[in-house]
Amino acid sequence: MNTRVASIAAIPATMLLLTACGGGDGDDGGAVTLEFQSLSDQPAAIEATEQIVESWNQDHPDVQVEIVPAGWDGVYDKLITQFNGGAAPDIIHYEAAGIVPFAVDGYLADLSDLMSDAMRVDIPSGILDSVTVDGQVVAYPTELQSYVVFANRGLLEDAGVRVPEGETMTWEELREISQATTSGDQYGLGWGLSSPTAAFMSMAPAFGGTFFDGAGSDAGLIMEEGEMALPELVGEMAHDDESVQPVSLTQAGSDVLASFYAEDIAMTVQGSFQAANIEADAPEGLDWVVLPPLEGPAGPWQAANPQTLSVNVDSEHIEESAEFLEYFASTDNLAELNEADALIPATESAREIMGTSLAEEPGWEAILESADHLESSPFLFVDAYPQWKDTVATPAYQRFLAEEIDADELREELQTGWDEITQ
Amino acid sequence: MRTLSSKDPTKGGRTSSPGGPPTGRRTPGHRRPRPGGMARNRRREAAALVMPSLLPILVLSVAPLVMGVALAFTDARLVRSPDYELVGFENFTKLFDNGFFWESFRIGMVWAVSVTLLQLVAAMGLALLLNSGLRLQGLTRVLALIPWAMPPVVVAIMWQMIYSPNAGPLNAVLDGVGLPGDINWLGDFTTALPAVIVVGVWVGMPQTTVTLLAGLQQIPDELHEAASMDGASAWRRFVDVTLPSLRPIIASITSLNFIWNFNSFSLVYVLTEGGPGGRTMLPMLFTYLEAFKNRNIGYAAAMGVVLVTVVVLLLALYLWSQFRQDDKGKVR
Repeated sequence: MNTRVASIAAIPATMLLLTACGGGDGDDGGAVTLEFQSLSDQPAAIEATEQIVESWNQDHPDVQVEIVPAGWDGVYDKLITQFNGGAAPDIIHYEAAGIVPFAVDGYLADLSDLMSDAMRVDIPSGILDSVTVDGQVVAYPTELQSYVVFANRGLLEDAGVRVPEGETMTWEELREISQATTSGDQYGLGWGLSSPTAAFMSMAPAFGGTFFDGAGSDAGLIMEEGEMALPELVGEMAHDDESVQPVSLTQAGSDVLASFYAEDIAMTVQGSFQAANIEADAPEGLDWVVLPPLEGPAGPWQAANPQTLSVNVDSEHIEESAEFLEYFASTDNLAELNEADALIPATESAREIMGTSLAEEPGWEAILESADHLESSPFLFVDAYPQWKDTVATPAYQRFLAEEIDADELREELQTGWDEITQ
Repeated sequence: MRTLSSKDPTKGGRTSSPGGPPTGRRTPGHRRPRPGGMARNRRREAAALVMPSLLPILVLSVAPLVMGVALAFTDARLVRSPDYELVGFENFTKLFDNGFFWESFRIGMVWAVSVTLLQLVAAMGLALLLNSGLRLQGLTRVLALIPWAMPPVVVAIMWQMIYSPNAGPLNAVLDGVGLPGDINWLGDFTTALPAVIVVGVWVGMPQTTVTLLAGLQQIPDELHEAASMDGASAWRRFVDVTLPSLRPIIASITSLNFIWNFNSFSLVYVLTEGGPGGRTMLPMLFTYLEAFKNRNIGYAAAMGVVLVTVVVLLLALYLWSQFRQDDKGKVR
């Protein structure tokens, strides 16, 4: 009951407690211990991470790495309190879109001089850009996700649809297939859009949407045709065509997979990493494929938002941490980790290894191909983006998808919310 | 508030010291004409005895509270090198124009009032049932406590499963009896708040039930016997015997419940995170977002101050009206 009674005392009290807890570093007997807060949440990826850490620990008795598992849910809030309380771990796992505000605040160590030249060359420049703030490299990019369409081949063929096989497929094609496979209780498409902002932001480049102009604290929001195209398209598919499963629009992506397994939906848009889950959980006999990358009027582009590993600037062992990151992101380790997570490695060399070793596996070819269409995106460098995403954009998009507001009201809500935050 | 200050010993002592004998009879020690060395010693002793319990309160409750109130008058942000300055009432004037905040305040009032009322009604029924001398009473009384023993996060996850639109038992049951079984309880704009309120009632029922049950057991059986001798029906006995005897308990548990419910956070945070589209955005959630997502702790502290002030005012009004009724009842 204490939590309830605390009310207003909670905020400063939390700060007091956090300050009190901070500062303890496991530093005994000469050996250095690095805390590594890892967000890996898929069993195979957790195992891969543990293996990498274990082999490092065996080779480096003086620098021991200890994994502190954490979850993706609420990690932004967690990091804010950790940093403010001085209790942040040495090595921080997150994503480019979320870590940049912390870098701007000065919480992250500058890794520019600690990252080896070989590594720097190996990372495509667009991806390295996404972790560079004010000319400083603030993180090692590790894994990339793209949004792909998983399809149930049987249901498509039953509806007389030829499974697309080209280099890319257009959104119009997706819409047509979705209509063709909708009948009775069965919907063409299921899309877990309970937190729609990330998906809409990441896929906007295909429609020429950039959302932001400028960077840092001076950035301005753009809400034009390219930015509005995707939500409007999803709205039309859901409410005019009625080919999108309505429940799925309020669910998380992983919940929608249940409908995909039950053959209630013929296709589902998901992060590429779900390939690992589908392979493990799909009922026997479910013949699934990854459709070619989606192409909009501006091309098949998606925003790259790599997962990142950064070093806490207040860590007593910044150099050792960077050495560990160098090892963690080395070609073999990265290939192993990304295979376990069904994600796309951030380095060219790891991607090459996976291209040859996984040529036979279902879905992988399309997933790796989609990586060619990932580009750095302005929203990563906008200070107010994480705030705007959680407090303005997500509720507004939810309202739009539930037909509470129309496209014009959505545009206005996003814009006024932005003005209120940045005023 | 009123009752507290009227029972305050120092106040009572001071005003009555030149006065008449009635107060003197109650506190003979304080009536000595001069304090003298012994009384001073005793006062020191009392202070020494109070300190151990006063210190934690000062450090853990009063200091943070004062800090929180002070923060509300600054532009503090949760950043690495915070340099903030006093801004006077700017946060409050900004808050006054913040439509989102007042909308969440409205939702908070709907939530707190309906959860508190439903809790009272449901817990009253349950308490009467548990007090009626049915078989296995000991077991059922323990069972009624179970929701209390569960952490709010576990409760929320459990109800998330119950409400799940395509695999939840609730929809399966509805489907089984021929009702629409595809309601998206937590995702739909119309059902989200009621669905969350039901969980709030469920989780808060045990402490209300236990308190009311304790009150019911205090009512002397003779009163009920006398009433039934006079030919009062069960309903009349409830209205004219049980309810008046329970009034002070109802007043206190309702006000406590109201505070708890208005300030509740974890349950709704896990169930809906304030969604869909802000439909279940309770004021505490809103304040949390402002503090830990938007990092404006000064502004968030101002929200806290406003919320506490409003709750205190509402409660003062409620308790005042309750006790006024009480006084009237005594005169009659």
